[in-house]
Amino acid sequence: MPPFRLVWKNLLRHRTRALLTAASLAVAIFLLCVLRSLLVVLESGIKASASNRLIVQSSVSLFVYLPESYEAKLERIEGVERVVRWNWFGGYYQEPKNFFAQFATDVEDLFEVYPEIELVEGSQEDFFGDRRACVIGSEMARKFNMRVGDTMPVIGGLFPRTDGQPWDFRIAGIYHSVKPNVDNNTLFFHADFLQKALESGAANGPEGVGIFVLRLEPGADRVRVAETVDALFAGGPQRTQTTTEAEFQAQFVSMVGNVPFFVGSIGGGVLIAILLATLNTMLMAAREQTRDIGVLKALGFRDGTVFGLMLGQSMLLTGVGGMGGLLIALSSERFFAQLLGTAFPGYHIAAETVVEAVIATLLIGVLAGIVPALRARKLSVLTALRSVG
Amino acid sequence: MAEAALIQLKDLTKTYTRGGETLRVLDQLALTMERGGFYALMGPSGSGKTTRLNLIGGIDRADHGEIRIGGIDLAHLNNAELARWRAASVGFVFQGFNLMPVLTALENVELQLLLTDLTRAQRREHASYALELVGLADRMHHKPGQLSGGQEKRVAIARAIVTDPTLILADEPTGDLDRKSAQAVLELLTKLNRELGKTILMVTHDPAAAEVARTIVHLDKGRLGRIETRSPAGAGG
Repeated sequence: MPPFRLVWKNLLRHRTRALLTAASLAVAIFLLCVLRSLLVVLESGIKASASNRLIVQSSVSLFVYLPESYEAKLERIEGVERVVRWNWFGGYYQEPKNFFAQFATDVEDLFEVYPEIELVEGSQEDFFGDRRACVIGSEMARKFNMRVGDTMPVIGGLFPRTDGQPWDFRIAGIYHSVKPNVDNNTLFFHADFLQKALESGAANGPEGVGIFVLRLEPGADRVRVAETVDALFAGGPQRTQTTTEAEFQAQFVSMVGNVPFFVGSIGGGVLIAILLATLNTMLMAAREQTRDIGVLKALGFRDGTVFGLMLGQSMLLTGVGGMGGLLIALSSERFFAQLLGTAFPGYHIAAETVVEAVIATLLIGVLAGIVPALRARKLSVLTALRSVG
Repeated sequence: MAEAALIQLKDLTKTYTRGGETLRVLDQLALTMERGGFYALMGPSGSGKTTRLNLIGGIDRADHGEIRIGGIDLAHLNNAELARWRAASVGFVFQGFNLMPVLTALENVELQLLLTDLTRAQRREHASYALELVGLADRMHHKPGQLSGGQEKRVAIARAIVTDPTLILADEPTGDLDRKSAQAVLELLTKLNRELGKTILMVTHDPAAAEVARTIVHLDKGRLGRIETRSPAGAGG
C-alpha cells in the first residue's frame, strides 16, 4: 500500500491545479447526473407501462381524432375488458407559462383502468357526480397551492370557450400516481362535459377522440387484439394504429428527437474532455515527481508501491471531484425537480444514476492514472534520480 | 578479527552507451572493504566512482563480475528482493538533497520506516531520535524548502541511518555545501562510523573531505588506482 499521506501531500503539491481539476470533474459528474436523470424520467414512463393496456390512435397522427363511434365497436372486440377515452385539452392556468397536461376522459373508467392512480384527498363519488369537477395531481396541487373545493380556471388552448372565459373546474380530489407512467402534474375531467360544451356551441374545438385506452381481459393476447382493432378500422373512416402502452410512451420520447442519443453524446463528450484534462494533470504530476520516484525506489520501495502511489493520486483527485459533483447533484435535486416541473415530471437522482456516477468517477481515475503509474513502475532508479525538476 | 570483509567486488565491469558510443566506466575492478570501515572513493569525473556506489547499493547492475555484500551475491536477487535488501541494509545519502519537498523533515526520515513493521508511534520515535542524532531536533517539522543546504543534508543522513543499516553510501555529501556545513556533515559521518560502527563508503571530489576517511581508494578510468590507509584521525583533523 502506498503511504496515504504521501499520496495526499503530492496531490496538494500544486493546490490550485489540483483544485481546478477536481472542480472541473465535479462539474462534469454533476452534469452527467442531471443528464442521466433526464433520461431516467423519459424512460421511466416506458418502463412503468402496464402490459394489459393498449392504445388506439389514428394511423395518420396522434393529432388526428378518431370518431366517437369507435368506442362501442372497441368494447365488442374479444379480449377487451374496458375502453377509456382520452382527449388532450391543451389549456393553461392563468398564463401560458403555467402549462400542464389536462385530459377529458371517462372518469369512472379511469380509476378502473389505471389502478396506479390513487385519490389521496377528496372522493370519487364527488368527482363522478359533478360534471364540472376535476381531479389534479399532487405535485400540481402543491405547485399552485390548490385544495379540494377550490376552483381551477383553465384557459382552453385547443378548446376555447366561445364567451372568451376560462373553463372553471371544481377540484373534487387530488390524486397521486404510484408509478411514473402517469405524472402527478395532470388534470383529469369529464369527457362528457367537454362534449356537451362542444355540442351546445359553448366551446370550439376538434370533435372526436384523441386516443382510446383499452384494458385487456386477463390472459388476452395483446398482439391478436391489436391486429383485430386495426383490421376492424382498416376501411375507415379513420384507420387506427394500436400499440402497447410502452410503445406509445416511446413514441412520445422520440417525438422530441433522439433525446437519449443527444443526451448520451453530451454526457460522453463531457466525460472524455474531463478524462483528458485529468490525464494531463496526472502526467504533469508524474513528471514533477520523477526524482521522488527514484528516491523511493532507491530507499527500497517496490515498483508496485510506486505504481500505487501514482494511481492513488489519480483516484484521490477524481474521487474528491466526483464525490463533489455527486453531492451537488443530490443537493440540487429538489431545485431541478421544481425548475423542470411539467417538462420532466418526477425528476430525481435515481440510485442507478448514483452508481453510474461512481463508476464513471472510478473509470476516469483509473484511466487518467494508469499511464503515469505504469511509467513510474517501469522507471529505473538511476533514470529517475538523474531527471531534472 | 573484529573487522570481517563486508563488501567484495570481483572482476566488476560496467559499460554505458551514450550517443552511440560505448563507455567502459568500470573495468574488471576487484576490491574488498571491511565491515566498520570508512572509505573515501576519489578520482576525476568519469572515473567510475558513482557507478561503483550505485552497484554496491543495488540500484544498478553490473555487466560482469560479482558484488557480494555481507555474503549476499546481489546478482542473484531479483528487483523485488533487491528493493527489500536495500531497505534493510543500505542507507543512501544522495548527491542532491533528494528529500520529498512535500514532507517535513520528520516525515522524510519516517518514510524509510514505512518499509518496516513498526507502528506509527514507533516510527515517529525512531525518526525523532535520528533527527536528534544529527542535531535537528528543533527542525523536525520544517519542510526541506525551509531548511539550509547543510540541514537538508543532515536530514538525508538521518533518513539513511534511521533503519540502522549496515552500510551507508554517501555520494558527494559535502558537494553542495558551504565550508561550515560541510564540516558538520563530515563530523557527523565520522561519529556514525566511530561511535555506531557504521561502514561508510563516501564518493568525493574534495581532498579535505576524504581526509576524514580511514581508507582512500583512488579510481582512474574505471580501474583501481592507489589505496591509502590512514590512521583514524578526527574529522578535519
